[in-house]
Amino acid sequence: MKSFKVAFVIAAGSLALLTAVAPMIAAQNLSNDDLLKPKAESWPLYHGDYSGRRHVHLTQITPRNIGSLTLAWAFQTNQSAQIKSSPLLVDGVLYFTVPDNVWAVDARSGHMIWRYNRISTTGDHIGHRGVAMYKGWLYFTTPDAHLISLNAKDGTVRWDKAVADVNKGYWTTMAPLVVRGHVIVGVSGDLDNLQGYLRAVDPETGATQWQWDATPPAGTPNAATGGMTWMTGTYDPELDLVYWGTGNPTPVLNGTTRPGDNTWTCAIVAIHPDTGKLVWGFQASPHDTHDWDAVETPVLVDADFHGQPRKMLMQSSRNGYFFVLDRTNGKSLLTVPFGPVNWALGIDAQGRPIPNPAKEPAPDGRLIAPDEGGMTNYRAPSFDPQTGLFIVDAHPSFSIYFAKPADGTYGWAGADYGLWGKGVIEAIDYQTGKIRWSHQVGASGSGAGVMTTDSGLTITGDGYGNVLALDTRDGKTLWHAGMGSPMASSPISYELDGRQYIMTSSGGVLFAWALPQSASVENQAGNGTR
Amino acid sequence: MKKFRVVISIAAVALVVFLSESANGSIDAAAQVASSGAETAQHGVGQPTDKAGAAAYAKHCAVCHGDQREGNLPAFPPLMGIKRRMTNDKIADLIHKGKDRMPGFPNLKDGELEALLTYLTTDAPPSSFANGNAPAAHASGLEEAGGALFQQNCAFCHGRDAMGGETGPDLTRSKLVLADKNGEEISKVVREGRPDNKMPAFNFSSQELLSLVAFIHERVKTASSGKGGRRGVDVADLQTGNVDAGKQYFNGAGGCSKCHSPTGDLAGIAKRFQGLQLEERMLYPRGAKSTVSVTLPTGMKVEGTLAYLDEFTVALRDADGSYRSWATNRVKYKVNSPVDAHIEQFPKYTDDDIHNLMAYLQTLR
Repeated sequence: MKSFKVAFVIAAGSLALLTAVAPMIAAQNLSNDDLLKPKAESWPLYHGDYSGRRHVHLTQITPRNIGSLTLAWAFQTNQSAQIKSSPLLVDGVLYFTVPDNVWAVDARSGHMIWRYNRISTTGDHIGHRGVAMYKGWLYFTTPDAHLISLNAKDGTVRWDKAVADVNKGYWTTMAPLVVRGHVIVGVSGDLDNLQGYLRAVDPETGATQWQWDATPPAGTPNAATGGMTWMTGTYDPELDLVYWGTGNPTPVLNGTTRPGDNTWTCAIVAIHPDTGKLVWGFQASPHDTHDWDAVETPVLVDADFHGQPRKMLMQSSRNGYFFVLDRTNGKSLLTVPFGPVNWALGIDAQGRPIPNPAKEPAPDGRLIAPDEGGMTNYRAPSFDPQTGLFIVDAHPSFSIYFAKPADGTYGWAGADYGLWGKGVIEAIDYQTGKIRWSHQVGASGSGAGVMTTDSGLTITGDGYGNVLALDTRDGKTLWHAGMGSPMASSPISYELDGRQYIMTSSGGVLFAWALPQSASVENQAGNGTR
Repeated sequence: MKKFRVVISIAAVALVVFLSESANGSIDAAAQVASSGAETAQHGVGQPTDKAGAAAYAKHCAVCHGDQREGNLPAFPPLMGIKRRMTNDKIADLIHKGKDRMPGFPNLKDGELEALLTYLTTDAPPSSFANGNAPAAHASGLEEAGGALFQQNCAFCHGRDAMGGETGPDLTRSKLVLADKNGEEISKVVREGRPDNKMPAFNFSSQELLSLVAFIHERVKTASSGKGGRRGVDVADLQTGNVDAGKQYFNGAGGCSKCHSPTGDLAGIAKRFQGLQLEERMLYPRGAKSTVSVTLPTGMKVEGTLAYLDEFTVALRDADGSYRSWATNRVKYKVNSPVDAHIEQFPKYTDDDIHNLMAYLQTLR
């Protein structure tokens, strides 16, 4: 009985706190308009906005004053899981994740407001990308492939729905994308021959609204399974199209049971958000046999291309090619490698690399560039509108791929071994694919996600654990700080109380960087809006 | 002073919120166990039929030890295979008295206790491996607990069956695994990770490590007794090259002979390394040392083995084995990395070159 009384007092205490704090925090109610035109004091979507450019219009922190950038606060998750998520920021509260966990943290101070912990004993715990938010509710995917709606105020569960069957081998890691009245969620599962799909659910009830299938159902003769949708897509409100990348086909390394292009695996697809109908698709890797998901951010840019104004979609793809498409119809404008690639015979009329059959995995091994982790992976690139540079964490690499009949035709169906790789931050001229500058970030592994700012900064990290601020014009280092281990996420930035913050992570720690308080107050005149 | 007091009270309330949250968390977790149990019940094979025992377990034990007796490590040990670790009397005693954080259940007696003991010592149902590559059905409880842990933490890289997957090697052919006798070797790698090979360190308890080791050894047994051809890269798979062509490449286009000699550093190399291991080493010898020469502002030169280098810091180990580091903007330094020749060769190889070179190296016994 005593413990019950204690619990009651505790409950009363936290209620008192909520009441006291309430006037300081605006109602956590994220509307469609807030998603379409994010405020400077918010980061309401995985990529910050619908375009996927990961570029902010904030200008308080500049190449001139970044030398005095300092730590505002750090938040310790005290978990061994690495932070791979992009936090959301809404009404002064940050929401971020590792598998099975969501934290709500005060963006001003870095103290915890609440934590949601849902232990799952099944499903892959490989990583977690973050939550989505709509109105006052968060949307969180779990290793056992559930989508959970949480009350953003206190982390309590509103509903909990399975979006895929963990017993078949699916899991989920991605941050859903909210478009109008749709929560769009993708799935993972490379270890089994499973159909990939994208699903929209009702934000209020979790009921399925539509499902778009990337591949036919498992067991369909001569067809691939796979095409997992494990990274967050982007959205063009004008064309009213959602753009999404799909993953590799399965069986992964053995293509013999799945002849042909294996649509829509390793593809960029345009989907109507109200119906789930495919409008167009473009395959970055037809008939992939190297695990090169084309799920990297489909970055939306409106600019001139060779003198003509264009609505473009750009992707630096895991297979080593940089693609520029006309996003109204999916037609190719440019296909060019952004590092060493040796698996294609050339580029076909549609702008797709033509896979070389001699470079399919074989019993005695094939030397392949890039490696299976790819020329880039889930860490986000950024597009800087002022310089026209597409800046990406690249990973030039070589590996050997094997497959033989004994490896079968289920799941991985072969073996591959990375030999060597390094990390390079590359700035690609989107009109030509030429690399304007490159910045070496480590003799092994890769760098971090990239964010650019209107003041001319490129924020990223190296393979050793340094957060780096580079000059966007030439890639020269302007500032750095050691965080202890490499950043496995992509930076974000926001402004609160007239102070600009840059947020990075390392291991299980979140870091908020800002100018010293006095300096940022002096610079308030320079504040921008996003 | 006022400010200070506010901070304290905020901190206090934050703590309170945390406590109440974690209470919610455990309730959610319990609900989750119940709901996932409902799912697995449909798929479960060989469920114990003793309903009274199952009911007693669900009522008293499942909240912590999991609906399938799988436990929730590190806090709550799995109970699968408990009969191999404890007698019925010991289990009953533990149930009555409790231990550490486990509460005692002194009122659990007679029929209910009997039923629960029968339930606990009945062979556990197989854990929920997905179809296809499901490991042996007769695994012990420890192996099953390890299997569950493996699926959640290791399968992404090493494959669901531990025979290789994205990036991670086939553990059933790993020299280290094969040499591991009592789990020490495997546990060490799992605990410490292999930073050079991207293998992260895992913070598992000793019990978890034991279960993981049991699972991996079970996989080795199953893999080597598999019918038909064995999965993964065999030495026999890597015999498609031509020795003479390989020798020619070694001395000519490959440029290998600029640094290596078949009677010098490579003498007997094929005795020390075989198959895939030899081929990986041939293409890029991981961990090869570089040297560095650092010129200090005074003009003094320090030489040694390169220990660390990023944009901002250069470090070496000198002849004494001492570690010394400098800010890169305060010194001049020159790195000598002979291994870079392997990187320069990557874009030049054909696959035949590699197979031929491999054939030649395998003659250096």
